[in-house]
Amino acid sequence: MPAQDVRELRIVGFLCNWCSYGGADTAGVGRFTQPTDLRIIRVPCSGRIDPLFIVRALMNGADGVLVSGCHPRDCHYAEGNFYARRRLEMLKRFLPITGIDERRFEYTWVSASEGQRWQHVVTEFTRRIHELGPAPSFNPKSDVDWNALAVQASQGQGCPCHGSIQA
Amino acid sequence: MSQLDDLKTAIKSRLGDLECVIGWEQGYDPLHATPLFIRSEADLDRLIIGPLAVHNLATYLTGWKGKKVGVVVKGCDSKSVIELLNEKLINRDDVVIFGLCCDGVVSQRKIRAALPADPGFVESVEIGADSLKVTVAGQAATLRLDDVRADKCRVCDTPDALVSDFLIGKAHTPAPAPSLKCQDEFEAKSDAEKFAFWQETMGRCIRCYACRNACPMCVCRDYCIATSRDPLWVSQENLPSENMMFQMIHVSHLAGRCTECGECERACPVDIPLMLLRRYMNKQVRDVFQHEAGKALDQTPPLLTFKVEEERINERGW
Amino acid sequence: MEKFITKENLNRLAAELAATCRVLAPVADCGTVTFRRFQPGMVMDLHSRMAAVSPKAATFPQTETLLVVKREIPEKKPEIIETLPEGKNVVIGCRPCGARGKLIFDPVYETDKIKDPYYLQRRKNTVFISLACDRPETTCFCHSVGSGPADPSGSDVLLTLVGEGYVARSVTPEGEEIMKMALFADAGDKGKEADAKNAKAREMMGEAHDYASAPAKLLARFDDMDFWLAQSAKCISCGACTYMCPTCYCFNITDDDLGLSSQRIRTWDNCMSHTFTLEGSGHNPRSTKAHRLKNRVGHKFSYYPDLHKGVIACCGCGRCIKQCPAGVDIRQIVNAAQEYAE
Repeated sequence: MPAQDVRELRIVGFLCNWCSYGGADTAGVGRFTQPTDLRIIRVPCSGRIDPLFIVRALMNGADGVLVSGCHPRDCHYAEGNFYARRRLEMLKRFLPITGIDERRFEYTWVSASEGQRWQHVVTEFTRRIHELGPAPSFNPKSDVDWNALAVQASQGQGCPCHGSIQA
Repeated sequence: MSQLDDLKTAIKSRLGDLECVIGWEQGYDPLHATPLFIRSEADLDRLIIGPLAVHNLATYLTGWKGKKVGVVVKGCDSKSVIELLNEKLINRDDVVIFGLCCDGVVSQRKIRAALPADPGFVESVEIGADSLKVTVAGQAATLRLDDVRADKCRVCDTPDALVSDFLIGKAHTPAPAPSLKCQDEFEAKSDAEKFAFWQETMGRCIRCYACRNACPMCVCRDYCIATSRDPLWVSQENLPSENMMFQMIHVSHLAGRCTECGECERACPVDIPLMLLRRYMNKQVRDVFQHEAGKALDQTPPLLTFKVEEERINERGW
Repeated sequence: MEKFITKENLNRLAAELAATCRVLAPVADCGTVTFRRFQPGMVMDLHSRMAAVSPKAATFPQTETLLVVKREIPEKKPEIIETLPEGKNVVIGCRPCGARGKLIFDPVYETDKIKDPYYLQRRKNTVFISLACDRPETTCFCHSVGSGPADPSGSDVLLTLVGEGYVARSVTPEGEEIMKMALFADAGDKGKEADAKNAKAREMMGEAHDYASAPAKLLARFDDMDFWLAQSAKCISCGACTYMCPTCYCFNITDDDLGLSSQRIRTWDNCMSHTFTLEGSGHNPRSTKAHRLKNRVGHKFSYYPDLHKGVIACCGCGRCIKQCPAGVDIRQIVNAAQEYAE
């Protein structure tokens, strides 16, 4: 729920101008309570969203990324979200191999009239990110962290190809 | 006649109409082959094939666009040619394909691990039917080809070229392993372990872009977004996060297009197991779109198209 | 000064030095060997193979922060902080060729007119404890570029493996200082054994190739694009050769915007990349890989020697050959130019 007693986390939202951005507006006009962790970036269509936007946000330290577009078959540009659906699904399925928790990224569809649905989505997603806590930084933060990794490396821990030459 | 003789005869029959034919020759030492650009019959004498001919020569094709060239391909390389054709990145009329029925190639990394001394000290190599006799720093060692085969060969279901003007050699009945142990073991690790592995491994990446430039499907090359300053996708700073970001760019841009030829991993000068990422993405593409890049002509990469009703993507209800 | 140090003690030396310096040492790294910042608990891998990357990062790191710009609030004037490198570095276990790389840097980074404070500071504060090679790899050609498997130039201490330890010889006063540590013992008569080993290693390399005609012969091929197209056909134009190279000294400077702060960084650049010579107008004088390979080979074997007393800008370590994904052999290219029949 609203980050009152918890540190606010950094959640980036990519919202389609024609639907979810309007949906967020509708929620605001309806005075539905919403958590304040989300930073919204308005895009012309979910089809505009390069999955690398999401990756870049996560690598730059976002704790969660939420994408929301028009419901499939309801795209302002007829087919933008059909492409988006495929791309976003592949990204979501890919994240586990990188060790980035795939729950930190979610995509969904909210129309301009669905203010209440927006409130639900943003509240639930924020709650999930707070449960997961701040995202670990990909770059070790301190010398101590670097050293731990370096020693780990010299012992070949975590490496699938170490020790055995057999596939 | 041997497979090599048949290949030479085939190339000789077409060499006159072609700018060059791309094959392999002996490289800087007995353990390494290197790409050969055959322009004359004299060059043809240097042609070799076999387990050391590892390079995917399809990588060079887009560089010869507009000229008529020949290319020698193994089964796996032929998939890259098909994918290039499917994406109209090369013109079928401009390429003469000399397809091989391939018995598999070696992994230099596995040879290195199996030899009693560093392969840099190699003195001689004898290639047998199922073994390599290597003399290294004065010590002789016999390596079973099965033990030093590249990972991609263990799971290969297309040993014979899928597209060709000449198909040379005896056809195989492939018997691929269902999966690779190293892949399965890595995927089974926890998020935290995988995360630490990439942090650590990307710490040794020097971002030389050998993985990108060796990739037959990475056709942007000089105009790659990773080296653009505006927009700035990746900082010049050599941090694990930036190195990983580049891998994410590569994998995203190869989603549904990667033919799993393994060139990225082979090219890496610091031995980063990049195929862990590629194989995983390909698995997702297979699961969701039943698509395998390069397996058939006239396929569209799945991310360049869509279906109104996707059978295998759940509508994300909240 | 000549001393002896056992293998165990060399690892101890690394651990002891790591308490006060930044120690770089070759360690086994998942099937390869790379230079890593040495930490107590790590084991050096000095003998299995030459490290994949060169030790040049000690004096010329891949990324170096030149200055940091900070501002508290957008309205306030930014504060500019220069960040000269601090502290001492020690490289342990590099090969003589790797240590020699910086001798190619020196005349470029310190001239009468220009001095590079970042490089010079690191150069002054870095000690190289090199290990002589006992046999050449197929890609080694240090003997052809005026060096050899036990060349002390560029090193501060040179180690030679003898039995279960190393004969250590100081080359510079800084090296001598380190060799005063108690971990070094008296060498006795092991010095002779070391000399014999070094002589044998040199003998194994065979006859040196003569590059004396290379500068003129390469220059003669400068406008011969057919020659360079043929030589570069298999090159894939990646940067593995330059980044692995102990003598490649080109860099790029970029500003990274980090919100209210920013940093100016210097990073390795590589002449095999399209962006290396890309001009603001969009014009690129080296638009193809043939142009770029011509520059790489020409710079090392022709332009640099012409500027710097005939010294070839290559230390013969062979990394660019062995690590090239396509097996481009720089020796072969120079030979082709030298043997070219007009």
